[in-house]
Amino acid sequence: MFASPAVQRPLALLNWLALTAMLAAICAVLLAAMGFQYIGGEIPCPLCLLERAAMFGVCFGILLQLRGGFSYQNTGFGLLSALFLLIVATRQSLLDIYPRPGHEYIGSAIFGIHMPVWSILIALALLIGFSLKLAVLGGDRHLQEHPAASFPAIAKAAAVLGPLVIALCVINLISVGVQCGLGQCHTTGYLLIDGPQPGG
Amino acid sequence: MMLAVFLLLALALGFGWFGLRRLAIGCAALAFACAIWLFQWEIYSPTDGYRMPWIDTRLDVPDAGTRA
Repeated sequence: MFASPAVQRPLALLNWLALTAMLAAICAVLLAAMGFQYIGGEIPCPLCLLERAAMFGVCFGILLQLRGGFSYQNTGFGLLSALFLLIVATRQSLLDIYPRPGHEYIGSAIFGIHMPVWSILIALALLIGFSLKLAVLGGDRHLQEHPAASFPAIAKAAAVLGPLVIALCVINLISVGVQCGLGQCHTTGYLLIDGPQPGG
Repeated sequence: MMLAVFLLLALALGFGWFGLRRLAIGCAALAFACAIWLFQWEIYSPTDGYRMPWIDTRLDVPDAGTRA
């Protein structure tokens, strides 16, 4: 984008604001999912866990930009993860679309929409967000010359959100270890708490 | 395998946060590869393969002899 020097800094600020908002939104979604798991007692299925992993992948792409500055490689990681989230969520929605043996329970609905469908909407929102950001703000020199650290408010938000994302990922790592051990994940119980599951 | 995906992701995020970019990208790429492998393994069924017959929308075309 050929932006004049006068508007380069506001454009860069918009870019970092968009990325910080995306990171905060993903953190909120992950916290809600963990709330359903630890407070509501809903054990995540393997595809649900892969959807969480995809969201952490998007966070990784954004985090690298906030820490190391804009690069297309970082944006690519975010886009790839969002695309993976869309594929997994669509497949899971198609698996759950018709009740069959082994697929009777599909978790609770939030505002009438089940979690895999929410994941599709989240993935679409992320893909649209990344595309709009690239189309409107570009990825040119003004983003490289004005890193996130040059905006105190963005730097402060990143300093909170970055460690939060890492902490959420570590909590999920421990949780996956307790639920699945080194083997296959089941939604019938936690392997290290309830013991091996039938057929597992 | 799911444990490996989350372990690699946690490492990638940690390395990324502390500025070890190459290590971070290596871990993220490995996590991504493991996640794709796990996804295809989870959705594969010994009877249906990758197909989903419960959403099969093909219409059964009646035989010519049974048509009115």
